[in-house]
Amino acid sequence: MKRFWSWAAIAFGAIYFLLPLIGTIEFSLRMRRGEYSLDAYASVLADPNFRATFGYSVVMALLTILLGVLIVVPTAYWVRLRLPRLRPVIEFITLLPLVIPAIVVVFGYIRLYNTSSVLPLTGTATGTNILLLCGYAMLALPYMYRAVDTGLSTLDVRALTEAAQSLGAGWVGIIGRLILPNVLGAVMSGAFLSFAIVIGEFTMAALLNRPAFGPYMQLLGANRAYEPAALAVIAFGVTWGCMGLLQLISRLLGVRKTAT
Amino acid sequence: MSFLVLDHLRKSFGPTRVVDDFSLSVDKGEFISFLGPSGCGKTTVLRMVAGFEAPSDGRILIDGQDVTRLRPNQRQIGMVFQAYALFPNLTVAGNVGFGLRVAGVPRAARADRVAEMLALIGLPDLGGRYPWQLSGGQQQRVALARALAPSPRVLLLDEPLSALDAKIRLSLRNQIRDIQQQLGITTIFVTHDQEEALSISDRIVVMHRGIADQTGTPSDIYNHPATGFVAGFVGTLNRFSAEVVDPVAGHVRVEGADIALGRLLPPGRVTLAARPESLKVAPEGIPARITGVEFLGSVHRLRARAGGAELVLDRFNAPGEALPRPGDHVRISAAPAAWLVLPE
Repeated sequence: MKRFWSWAAIAFGAIYFLLPLIGTIEFSLRMRRGEYSLDAYASVLADPNFRATFGYSVVMALLTILLGVLIVVPTAYWVRLRLPRLRPVIEFITLLPLVIPAIVVVFGYIRLYNTSSVLPLTGTATGTNILLLCGYAMLALPYMYRAVDTGLSTLDVRALTEAAQSLGAGWVGIIGRLILPNVLGAVMSGAFLSFAIVIGEFTMAALLNRPAFGPYMQLLGANRAYEPAALAVIAFGVTWGCMGLLQLISRLLGVRKTAT
Repeated sequence: MSFLVLDHLRKSFGPTRVVDDFSLSVDKGEFISFLGPSGCGKTTVLRMVAGFEAPSDGRILIDGQDVTRLRPNQRQIGMVFQAYALFPNLTVAGNVGFGLRVAGVPRAARADRVAEMLALIGLPDLGGRYPWQLSGGQQQRVALARALAPSPRVLLLDEPLSALDAKIRLSLRNQIRDIQQQLGITTIFVTHDQEEALSISDRIVVMHRGIADQTGTPSDIYNHPATGFVAGFVGTLNRFSAEVVDPVAGHVRVEGADIALGRLLPPGRVTLAARPESLKVAPEGIPARITGVEFLGSVHRLRARAGGAELVLDRFNAPGEALPRPGDHVRISAAPAAWLVLPE
């Protein structure tokens, strides 16, 4: 009986996650009347806006991961090494993006960095891109921080740091050669979530008027029937493909081996 | 001139003073042990030498250079930690070569030095393994090779044997001493294990409540303890309350028995003490009753009571020799030179 309920729970979960995906795939194939076809996919892939917006979001996602790593890894490391009493405060700060809506943050950005401000970032495309990048890094902060902090909890950060210092290493060397390689697995988990958030993000990109994939999907969904379904399937596949690639690269670079 | 000088070091954490006026001069190639109970300040002194703690007062000089304000990575000091602290993302060779890589040593020279170090610690074929694939003893030997690879000026060992089992501990401590003598490197070894300190040190600093109670050779520390704390902490000690009968001739009375020490004594009452191996069952001496006999292999340990004092006597195991039995009334004595006189 117990076994039955276990399988029932697995079946329910599978249906909950897979059914909408299967439905979307099935709908995306019905563009040609009376038969299945890949017409919707051909239409999407032929659209130059798809390639431009998806490429833009992928680049932004990678930059967000890079910025997130540059901010989070040294911060989480330093808090564990020197400021352990500040950990609850830092954890609270990193949780704020989950409780403050993105629309509030982006309006704050626009007020602070508009063309009449001291730092008029919204005055140029590059400046707005930087602003959007910072916004994405902030949105991904709770996931990246938690992943890295959990990775650091498996290390004796103080002993490793002191061992490296006694061998002549400076702070940059310690973080770059020891800490980062040892939390690479955790960083990849954070990167996965950051990537997924950025690829589908709509609010910030739309209000900052940047050519990102989220606003493009919304625009297509408002005007077409089958193409949005095909787009969703393509985005799903490409996102998972990119993440698989990241995992592969991290393995080739030598993510830390742990005892079993 | 001494190679390593610790000059009036003090260290406080908030209102708590953990090291107080600690001074020590160490010659080049000397092996010094800091011995003391937990919380006595021995590790704090070591960490100040390494640069991980800044002294509240005092100076640290290495080869004449004042390193008190230098960062740990500028001091050219090798350190071995209790918990090994090997880098888990690097192989054994990567760990041993880490300091050389940081120093910018070319790859070929680095590989040669790593091979030399691995041969020195007796693990020449394990360069490709990761730390988690090694036993505790192997990991600590790799940590030693890693600390020695960049040819540091001073080697610091922070309780490196504490996490190992007894057999490995014994063999590794001998190996540490052999390597230290082979390289002639100035070494400070922190331990709370008196046997470790006595067996491998040139000199021992016994620490108590942040100060150095006594500094001396292992023989000095064991045979001529300067304070009651040192006498009690290093080795087992039998203590008797004694009355000085003749301070000039050196006669005392213990439990009704007169003992001639043959040296000047302070007037009044003193504590007379002796090591278990110094006490003997003799025709004359302090009256005592045997309460137990234990066989420990190389020795028989006799337990006895003399007045209010519980005593321990060690006798070498000599097959065929008669031993007292529990309940026997005996007299206990020691050679005059074996008695320690401590303040009451």
